[in-house]
Amino acid sequence: MNETTSLERGYRRVLACYPKAFRKESGEEILAVLLDTAAEGQRRVGLSECAALIRGGLRMRLRPAARPPRTVRGAARLMCAGAVAELAAVITMLVTAASVKAALAKDPSLTAAQWHTVTSLLTFKEVSGAIAVGLWLFLAWAISQRRDVARLAFTGFFALITLSMLIVLAQHGAVYAPADVIAGATVWVITLATMVLLFTRQSNAFYRRAGHPAAAHPAR
Amino acid sequence: MQEATFLILTALADGSQHGYGIITEVGQISDGRVRLRAGTLYTALDRLRSDELIGMDREEIVDGRLRRYYRLTPEGGRRLAAEAARLHANATAALTRLRPAGGLVT
Repeated sequence: MNETTSLERGYRRVLACYPKAFRKESGEEILAVLLDTAAEGQRRVGLSECAALIRGGLRMRLRPAARPPRTVRGAARLMCAGAVAELAAVITMLVTAASVKAALAKDPSLTAAQWHTVTSLLTFKEVSGAIAVGLWLFLAWAISQRRDVARLAFTGFFALITLSMLIVLAQHGAVYAPADVIAGATVWVITLATMVLLFTRQSNAFYRRAGHPAAAHPAR
Repeated sequence: MQEATFLILTALADGSQHGYGIITEVGQISDGRVRLRAGTLYTALDRLRSDELIGMDREEIVDGRLRRYYRLTPEGGRRLAAEAARLHANATAALTRLRPAGGLVT
């Protein structure tokens, strides 16, 4: 009995190199096969067995566990484009910020408080833009990995972008250069297109299957 | 198609099998030449499932452990048949060409 449990513990440790979602779905099943194929009285994980598990786990982590449907692949590609557009927006902002500040500095009626508002707003936009670039890329990876949570996160991201877009247009439109607004609008359009792709029927089926393995043969 | 993939599909061609059953079948089909490792098998099964060449048939609990049975989908059957025909054609061509050369093959 003790021999079995020490071997089982060993296998469980090696199985940790598989993605969590996969382990949840198939971990127990693989463990059963591993224990079935183990030699009588075997106490330690075999070297080649261990190597095959590590290779399998790495392969599964590096490439998407399942080839996503065309809609999800398209969404991931759009999200990479979004990262590029966002980067362009950040660069535009960095370039134009200097001229905006220079123009404002010449204005004698500007109070210190107003100056502070303008500069802190610009800094906020620059930092949030840089974070957004990283977020785009991370979410593009995550949606390809069949993470339904990533879809939810992207929906939140979409709401945030829409909101910030509206705020920019309604209140501080004058602070930003037209190029910045155009770049922002481009990002928003890409986000909208990604949202549409992410919630098509094909995409929904892809994520449904990920959450509930039993749905592979649904009661239709 | 990789050999392991071909053998896994072949193991499922005449009925559903669970993981350990596939490993045993593949060993028999290949005359003990191919010994699938659990890690290799499940990476392949995962890919085949997402490509919809195989599907899950049923689940059983044996000795308190989960056992899933897999079966070939119609598309999986077609792909396996096409690959088998391709390999067969290649093998025939090789044997035909070898014959006049030195009479190695009878």
